[in-house]
Amino acid sequence: MNETFDPQVKQVLDGERASSELPPSLRAEGEAARRLLAAVDRSEVALSPHLDTRVMAVVRRHAASPRYRAWRWLTAPSVPPWVVGALAAAAIALVLIRSVPDGAPVVAVPAPAAPESVYVKFVLFAADARRVALAGTFNRWDPATTPLTRAGAPGVWTVTVALPVGQHQYAFVVDGQQWIPDPAAPSIDDGFGRKNSVVSVSAGQGRIL
Amino acid sequence: MKRGAVWVGLVVLVTSNLVAQGDPRSRLAGRVPPAVAAAVSLLVDSAQARGLPAGPLVDKALEGVVKGVAPDRIVPAVRGVLQQLDAAATALRTAGGPRAGDDAVEAGAFALDAGLTAGDVGEIARAADRSYPTAVALQVAGLLAALGVPRPETVGLVRATIRSGRPLGDLVNLPSQVQAAMAGGSPPAAAAAGLERAAAAHQAPRPRAQGKGQGNPHKP
Repeated sequence: MNETFDPQVKQVLDGERASSELPPSLRAEGEAARRLLAAVDRSEVALSPHLDTRVMAVVRRHAASPRYRAWRWLTAPSVPPWVVGALAAAAIALVLIRSVPDGAPVVAVPAPAAPESVYVKFVLFAADARRVALAGTFNRWDPATTPLTRAGAPGVWTVTVALPVGQHQYAFVVDGQQWIPDPAAPSIDDGFGRKNSVVSVSAGQGRIL
Repeated sequence: MKRGAVWVGLVVLVTSNLVAQGDPRSRLAGRVPPAVAAAVSLLVDSAQARGLPAGPLVDKALEGVVKGVAPDRIVPAVRGVLQQLDAAATALRTAGGPRAGDDAVEAGAFALDAGLTAGDVGEIARAADRSYPTAVALQVAGLLAALGVPRPETVGLVRATIRSGRPLGDLVNLPSQVQAAMAGGSPPAAAAAGLERAAAAHQAPRPRAQGKGQGNPHKP
């Protein structure tokens, strides 16, 4: 019920004043409130003697469910410190295991300071170029990181890069726009209608080509 | 100690696991249009589910963006890389031997890109066996094919060099030898055929009494 009564009517209902003291404009409202109050059933409510048993049965059934018990275990206070310690140890062990390359044994070996790499010199003849850069899989195809510099002879641009062992695709970027493959290296389709040059370096063997 | 610490432990466990895996998708953030990143992420999921290296997929997406390629052409190219990796892994699996590492799968995909077939990749992997690194043998074969050496001559030259029992350096130097011959006016096929004949002439008998690769001094 959302009906609200005037405060003066409420005072009448509470016995704080007589209904005759209400102003004429509130008397009808006072009468309606009095009728409403008279209609209320004030007899005692008799609860079933089995109510407690039924309620507790429902509560115990809920508390016994595995999902509820798991949730309580996770959220309730007081976890033995060894549980947290074991989790932290598991996390560290997982990090160590997953950091090892696939197929490599999980053993403690002295790690080199840096991955084995080989210095490779790239040369391009571009007489009219104002700037030349090298972009490839080894520098995330970012020309800004590996600019070439002019060598002694006019139009000759060079850069020497330490490449990790493996195979790399690359191209020269002339004047920031023109992508051209290395004329001195084999090339393959880049999947976008152009050519990428290929260089392979091998551990202890240097550049394959 | 609150059980909330258990939640912290679980979060640390999951997060550290992802970091340790070095998810290559992290390299896409901020560098690739969101639509491309989402599509490539699905392809990365697919690669990882199949046990394939996912780095080349991300590399190809970044390459396309840097080269100014339209997004609708980047995703098919990345999908093409995935297909090549899958084909290479299948060829290596079919060839038998030890489980191929990511480097061998990537080298196999490169050889396929360069024009070799899955059968060629498998044959080279079988020839390399455990005596030579499969990845290096496939890289050399791919480079020969990229230089224009026809498939039969490429496979024949790599196989003959491996069978000759020559040092790994000789195998690695094959592309530059072919290129030198080409610079002298020899067609790629003829250059490779000449080197194959030379390798066959020096072919050493493979030891039968020992286990696979155990008697080869070039085992890495």
